[in-house]
Amino acid sequence: MTGPLTLDIVAGKMKEFGNSELVRKNRIRITTTPDKVHDTIKIVQALFGCDRLITISAVDNARTLELIYHLTGPHRMVLSIAIELTRDQPAIPTTSDTLPPAAIYERQIHDLFGIVFTGNPNLNRIMLNEDWPANEYPLRKDWKPGPDTFYGGIKVERT
Amino acid sequence: MPEVVVSIGPHHPALKEPVNFKVVVDGEKIVRLELDLSYNHRGVEKAAEQRDFIRVLPLMERVCGICSHAHSTAFAKGIEEIMQLEIPPRAQYIRTIIAELERMHSHLLWLGVAAHVIGFNTLFMWTWRDREAIQDTVEEMSGNRVHYGMNEVGGVRRDLTPAQVTAALERLPNLEERIKKYVDMVNKEETMLIRFRGVGKLSKEEALRYGTVGPTARASGVDYDIRKDDPYLAYADVPWNVVTDTNGDVYGRTRVRIGELWESIRIVRYCLENLPEGPIRVTAPRNAPTGEILSRYEAPRGELVHFIRTNGTDKVERVDIRTPTLANWTSVAMCLVNQNLADLPVIVAAIDPCLSCTSRITLLDNQNKKTGVMSLDELIWRNRSRDQGQERP
Repeated sequence: MTGPLTLDIVAGKMKEFGNSELVRKNRIRITTTPDKVHDTIKIVQALFGCDRLITISAVDNARTLELIYHLTGPHRMVLSIAIELTRDQPAIPTTSDTLPPAAIYERQIHDLFGIVFTGNPNLNRIMLNEDWPANEYPLRKDWKPGPDTFYGGIKVERT
Repeated sequence: MPEVVVSIGPHHPALKEPVNFKVVVDGEKIVRLELDLSYNHRGVEKAAEQRDFIRVLPLMERVCGICSHAHSTAFAKGIEEIMQLEIPPRAQYIRTIIAELERMHSHLLWLGVAAHVIGFNTLFMWTWRDREAIQDTVEEMSGNRVHYGMNEVGGVRRDLTPAQVTAALERLPNLEERIKKYVDMVNKEETMLIRFRGVGKLSKEEALRYGTVGPTARASGVDYDIRKDDPYLAYADVPWNVVTDTNGDVYGRTRVRIGELWESIRIVRYCLENLPEGPIRVTAPRNAPTGEILSRYEAPRGELVHFIRTNGTDKVERVDIRTPTLANWTSVAMCLVNQNLADLPVIVAAIDPCLSCTSRITLLDNQNKKTGVMSLDELIWRNRSRDQGQERP
């Protein structure tokens, strides 16, 4: 592909996957659904030469959990692919098969938000201690430390 | 020969950071690597959700001891963009000067650590001495050696006086001289060539595939540099070049970092000589409108990303920090495969994980029951007068 990547090109090609919008200079946001995210990333890689995953951002907006995959390439445009997941048992297929760096970001998100990336070969703890209580995800908005629970060997003091 | 698991860290003389590697080896060769980063999780992202922007900035600055300015600038410029603030050019230039001085002291520190890891302690002592000149400059400008506290939402907190600009410019020729020497050394010095060449090789395709960032990626010929790709601060005005190398090994990473030292000096000199007049900050509103921003910043170690979501209040809804070191772990795990176990410290050190230290004086006046902080000028004057028995003018 030659020439700069514009919103028109992206919106035209990505119509079936969801809505594309130019959020600011050199940022395009594509809103799609969890079942299409794997294909969207493959298409974006193939059509626009996006060879780099910047990061996967996770947000808890109290209603749903959002995942945003930020990709870039030689065109220097950042394509952000945004999806929403239900808060109850959130699960999504892994993208680490097509994007190897996704594996470590998925591990981090699994640790802090409890989103399960099915197919990720190694979803072990990476950020939190190994004795962190199971099913407690500190970056969720409704997380409160339990009164008699140990977190990394210490109890949260009540005041 | 059966595979053996060697556990290295979190406390190990060859590692400067609390990280644990489980290295699977077959004889002397590394087969696989598993890592655990949980020793240092402080919950900064959660803490940031509970404080207003003014209090988040110092918190962000403390994410890292070496890239302190990188984190606070990435956060401040994200919030400023959501608030649609126009930052005065003088503030942008001052931020750029501090950012590039930070890059220089970080790269010199790295060169020292890399030299130390291969047992070349003379170079370690030399680079750390030269680094002091930069630390002195930042201390004069900001009052601190590590956490500069220069940023605020809307601009910078301290202006540069003409005397500070002159003092900084006077230090540059000597640094240039020293960097010339390092360029010479990295290409000729036997100790460095033997330990750096062909170690931890990463091809351009691999560097792209594993999402490598910063000098590690540029050493493999990938020319991603946020300062050029997505210009922020004053980088669009300043003439400078992206440094790349084609070697792709630790030797290439050393050459890129030394090349960047050279470019940083150029940027600092240009900014100091062309410092625009005018205000250094604008008043920022207390609340930010609802918005979302991916704030990218080229930290000394590579691309730093702050993903910020605001919700119309004076606090962030979410700030997601992706540090360059996290991005580089994947490639480290990959390029360690089939290397000698003895090369592990230098390959890990080549992505530059960081450490920090700081100290500051608080004076206690027992008779008057007062405490205070001494300015640098005062401190220097006290030292001189003690040495020479002078009275204060």
